[in-house]
Amino acid sequence: MIDWVLFVVLALVTLGGALKVVSAEDLVHVVLWLAVTLLGTAGFYAMLDAGFLAAIQVLLYTGGVITLMLFAVLLVRREGGHIPAGGVAEPARAGVVALATAALSGFAIVRGGLLEGEAYRLEPKALGQVLLGPLALPFEALSVLLLAAMVGAIVLARRKDA
Amino acid sequence: MSYAILAIVVPAASFLVLALVWPLRHTGRPAAWLSTAAALVSLACAVLALGEAPAMGAPPELLTWPWLVRGGEVIADVGFRLDGVSAPMLVVVTFVAACVQVYSLGYMAEEPPAALGRYYTWHSLFIVAMGGLVIAPNLLQLVAGWELVGLCSYLLIGFYWRKPSAGKAAVKAVWVTRFADIGLMLGLVLLYVQTGGFSWEAQAATSAVAAFLFLGVMGKSAQVPLHVWLPDAMEGPTPVSALLHAATMVAAGVFLVVRCWPLFEHADTLLLAMSWIGAITALVAAVTATVQTDIKKILAYSTCSQLGYMVAGLGSGEMLGGYFHLTTHAFFKALLFLGAGSVIHAVHSNELGDMGGLGRKTRTTMVLFGIGTFALAGLPGLSGFFSKDLLLEQVAHAGQYGPLAILLFVAGLTPFYMMRAWCLAFLGEPSPKAAHAHESPAVMLAPMAALAVLAVGLGYAGGPFGAMVGEPYTFHLTPVGIIATVVGLSGLGLGYAKYGLGKLQGLEVPALAAVVRAAPVDTFWAQAWSRGLLPFAKAIGWFDRYVVDALVNLTGWVAIVAAERARTIQTGRARDYLYAVALGAVVVAAAGTIGGISS
Amino acid sequence: MMGPGLSAYLLVAAAMFGVGLYGVLSRRNLVAIVVSVELMANAANLNLVAFSRFGGHPWGQALALFGLALTVAEVVVGLALVVLAARSHTSLDVDAMSSLKG
Repeated sequence: MIDWVLFVVLALVTLGGALKVVSAEDLVHVVLWLAVTLLGTAGFYAMLDAGFLAAIQVLLYTGGVITLMLFAVLLVRREGGHIPAGGVAEPARAGVVALATAALSGFAIVRGGLLEGEAYRLEPKALGQVLLGPLALPFEALSVLLLAAMVGAIVLARRKDA
Repeated sequence: MSYAILAIVVPAASFLVLALVWPLRHTGRPAAWLSTAAALVSLACAVLALGEAPAMGAPPELLTWPWLVRGGEVIADVGFRLDGVSAPMLVVVTFVAACVQVYSLGYMAEEPPAALGRYYTWHSLFIVAMGGLVIAPNLLQLVAGWELVGLCSYLLIGFYWRKPSAGKAAVKAVWVTRFADIGLMLGLVLLYVQTGGFSWEAQAATSAVAAFLFLGVMGKSAQVPLHVWLPDAMEGPTPVSALLHAATMVAAGVFLVVRCWPLFEHADTLLLAMSWIGAITALVAAVTATVQTDIKKILAYSTCSQLGYMVAGLGSGEMLGGYFHLTTHAFFKALLFLGAGSVIHAVHSNELGDMGGLGRKTRTTMVLFGIGTFALAGLPGLSGFFSKDLLLEQVAHAGQYGPLAILLFVAGLTPFYMMRAWCLAFLGEPSPKAAHAHESPAVMLAPMAALAVLAVGLGYAGGPFGAMVGEPYTFHLTPVGIIATVVGLSGLGLGYAKYGLGKLQGLEVPALAAVVRAAPVDTFWAQAWSRGLLPFAKAIGWFDRYVVDALVNLTGWVAIVAAERARTIQTGRARDYLYAVALGAVVVAAAGTIGGISS
Repeated sequence: MMGPGLSAYLLVAAAMFGVGLYGVLSRRNLVAIVVSVELMANAANLNLVAFSRFGGHPWGQALALFGLALTVAEVVVGLALVVLAARSHTSLDVDAMSSLKG
């Protein structure tokens, strides 16, 4: 029962945050609401026995990425970071497509005959063994990707001729 | 068989070395020696090959590789076919080629080294090409060789390319023979259509094939009215004229008829046409030769005339006479050309007016040129007598009396103009240029002597030659032969009396000259070109420009219009692309979901 | 009563994904679009973790970890592009960036 209460609360926080992310008119607010959503997701991770991921989500994502985004917003912000509200037609079209996508997913989830199954307990140890065992090579490849992204970001940001 | 292969492979190797190793080619004389050595080896091999060649009728010696294959079935081979027809011709080609190459060591000695190397490179190629033509196992390879000798002809006529006239002559030779080759190609295609191959022994071929092939022959062997390129071809070096434009290449046309004799043998109408065309060619060319003042032009028209003789002989329906005359003619006409070259070498001019009285300075040349003259005139005992006699007898035997009468007249005209050339060059008072003449070196006289031996003696080989070719032959004097001999001797006598002794001033040639000028063949072709071919080409050009190109442009126009319409899809708004992605994902997911649930 | 099952998590993730997609499509500001993409990526990660939990295999969590790293990389490069665009264009309005227009 307590699980359900927790779940509903987290869902409200997460989805509410998400809605504010796509509707807020100030860029700083947008980023901060994203932080709320990410924290809610971290809560879900914790409920799902993924404590390690929850920690990463909070530390790296909510801590690092949100900070980075705030920097970017402050760097590029003009007109006080205010996003002018579009007309009615554009959000309506976007809403239809987004709703169709979500509805299709929901339909697939509800009618897809997923095995609910019982929850397993997963130790962080198991994750570590997988990462350093069979997934060691992709793990290392990922570090190369991050390096490339870093180099790319520096090169892009330092361009003077653009 | 291996000798026949060597006879072609050795000059081929020489050609490749000269063509690829340019430092060697540019040294001149070593290149010349290499090519000449290859030609001599080739000659020796060809003679040995002749010794072991099976006569016609016996199965030929074949060494072939599949060339064109369709669906597992070999359409055309490439390789060697040694038999009674190819072996003698191979000897003729290599013999004259070897003589000419040795002769050129002296004649071309003053050329720059690079030019000399080029000259000998083409000579080596010529032996390969002509050998490949002669020894071809089927018509396709023969035509390949045919085109290659045409290439050599072009390159060697245009050897003095700094002279505009030489370049023009080379181009003219190509155009005229190519024009005739249209017929040859049609014949080739028709042969394939009718028989599914390129063998001249195919039974299914009709006489139309032979008729088309003969059009090509008319170009290559300079038959009226396609003979116009041959006199111009004399722009090339004289040894080249001797080899290509007297002895071998121009005879390739006649050889093609001999080679493809099974196709021609029963085409009666075509044979009759060949007789007339040959006879008319012989007459026109002989008349023209009578009034020429350029010694090479005389010999060129004489060659043309004798080719007409051969074609007429083949038109009789028996090929031995034509083929025999081809071989004897190759030797004495090459001898005459080399003699002319020797004279030209002495006085540095082609004009008979610049010669005269050379007999005292260049006695050997005079004698050798005289032997050639008498052989061509058909003096009894010399080779020309036997072959001409046989040829005329066959024409008579076929009942073609019209061509026979013309040929007999030409038999008198030929000694007349040859005697004129000989007398004007070697007798009488020397012209200023001739005063400082000198005899040619031994390296030039020796090949002439070798050719002279055959020009005299080859007539006696008629028996073995006939056996080789598969048509038995023994010499016997016939009424036609006697008439021809009498006519020929009177021609010789008249010529000597008029030009040697200065008598018979009443007998002038202006009448003949008028005839020659009244037959402006070159003008005819120029008109045919400007009135016929050019409008035709323009019509085709119009069709190409406004119909073919229009179709091409139409496709381009359609693409442009379609693109103009399609470009509006590209709004440039990132959002629209995102919509496309999202909708695409929805559609794919929906398909997967519905498919997954329903299954 | 059992706690929330797999479907519940997946539905939340689907909703979050839909919201993110809406943001990507309706927003005109580049930064807002990047943030919305984060929402969609986050939804995908939540799916992976849920599958891992109810499938009983740690590979889902590992993939979620990879997904996190990828998203971070995307944010870094994306924000660099945003800075670049802000420098070269006068505004960050994506509708104004239409040099691809045919």
